[in-house]
Amino acid sequence: MGDITISIINTIADGYGVEAEDGQKVFELILKAFEDKKKVTLSFRNIEMLTTAFLNTAVGQLYKDFSEEYIKENLKVSDISDSGKVALKRVVETAKLYYKDPDALKRSIDEIAKD
Amino acid sequence: MNRFNQINDSFESYQSLIQLYEKYKDESFGDIHLEFHKFFAANMSAALGAVLDKFTANLNSIHFDSIDPQIEAILLKNNFLTYFGKQKAVDTNKTTIKYQRLDSTDGRYFKSYVIKELIEGHNSDLPQMSKGVKEKIVEAICEIFVNAQIHSETEFIYTCGQFFPNKNKIEFTIVDIGIGFREKINKRFETNLRAIKAIKWAVEEKRTTKEGISGGLGLAVLREFVTANKGKMQIVSNDGFYQFNNTGEIQKEFRGEFPGTIVNLQFRTDDDNNYLLKDEININDIF
Repeated sequence: MGDITISIINTIADGYGVEAEDGQKVFELILKAFEDKKKVTLSFRNIEMLTTAFLNTAVGQLYKDFSEEYIKENLKVSDISDSGKVALKRVVETAKLYYKDPDALKRSIDEIAKD
Repeated sequence: MNRFNQINDSFESYQSLIQLYEKYKDESFGDIHLEFHKFFAANMSAALGAVLDKFTANLNSIHFDSIDPQIEAILLKNNFLTYFGKQKAVDTNKTTIKYQRLDSTDGRYFKSYVIKELIEGHNSDLPQMSKGVKEKIVEAICEIFVNAQIHSETEFIYTCGQFFPNKNKIEFTIVDIGIGFREKINKRFETNLRAIKAIKWAVEEKRTTKEGISGGLGLAVLREFVTANKGKMQIVSNDGFYQFNNTGEIQKEFRGEFPGTIVNLQFRTDDDNNYLLKDEININDIF
């Protein structure tokens, strides 16, 4: 099983990971690599800013189709800024909870409707 | 005649723009006359521009009959009045952040505009902000733009800002003319929340209307930064008003409805928090 590196700046042709649409491009490459049983290093080199919307689509939605264990085993990040690490960790934790308990959002709506 | 004497970020100011919208929303081929006196916060150009565009889409003509000179000067410098046929002026003090109407797909342009207007264009002439604060402000603004892009189903996004050097603050406003928090949330969850409850739900962490994909962090991240920065965030969506700052939350309802959503952000430029502190997250412990 080979390892590959996906460069975000090269994938989105921009140093700022802002839009969800750009995140989708990164997600599709990771998906393609995972489907081919490759381990992936996601390179954030020269990325100056990230939004959570970008990270949700780029990485968060992997938890829909792959287990935590599989992702932990097969995905690494490199050259990510400290603030990027904080944002990515938060996106990952949110995604894990979201796919574990898809009814939580509906319950929160019911709670606020009752107030 | 519609006379505005004081437009800032007060609840009453938003109410007066909503009243204007409600008055003419069903009118076509008419003449709408406006007067602005005493004070007009330049960033509110985004909210006014959105309302006026609704009118011009119905082929109404907008007439600025009387504008106090100091208000006119700033609305020329920030380009707002140039959208209505006036000659633009040069902003020698560089305190304006230009008024823009963007297609909702113009994310890349928007990002360049924010960086240019907030950072590169103001390196020497404004109160020095730390690198960390600048980055956090740009990030917060981009999160809100992307939120509008993803959720509002809007055609255009209106933005404008203003530096207030004497008060050490920046205000930045992002407006869409989309479906609003209420319709988006009620459609997604088949519920019937009022606008204010829909906003209140959405500002909590991990709340998202996206299907099959997690989210709901943008507004939460913004709220945390606003807390640390001692800034302020306001959301106006349909008839709902939500405000958050370090003194707490305010929720109110307007008479009438804004045709979309306004997010108004206020940041302190004299924030000495060190946002570049090294965190302790291990790069191998993210997933």
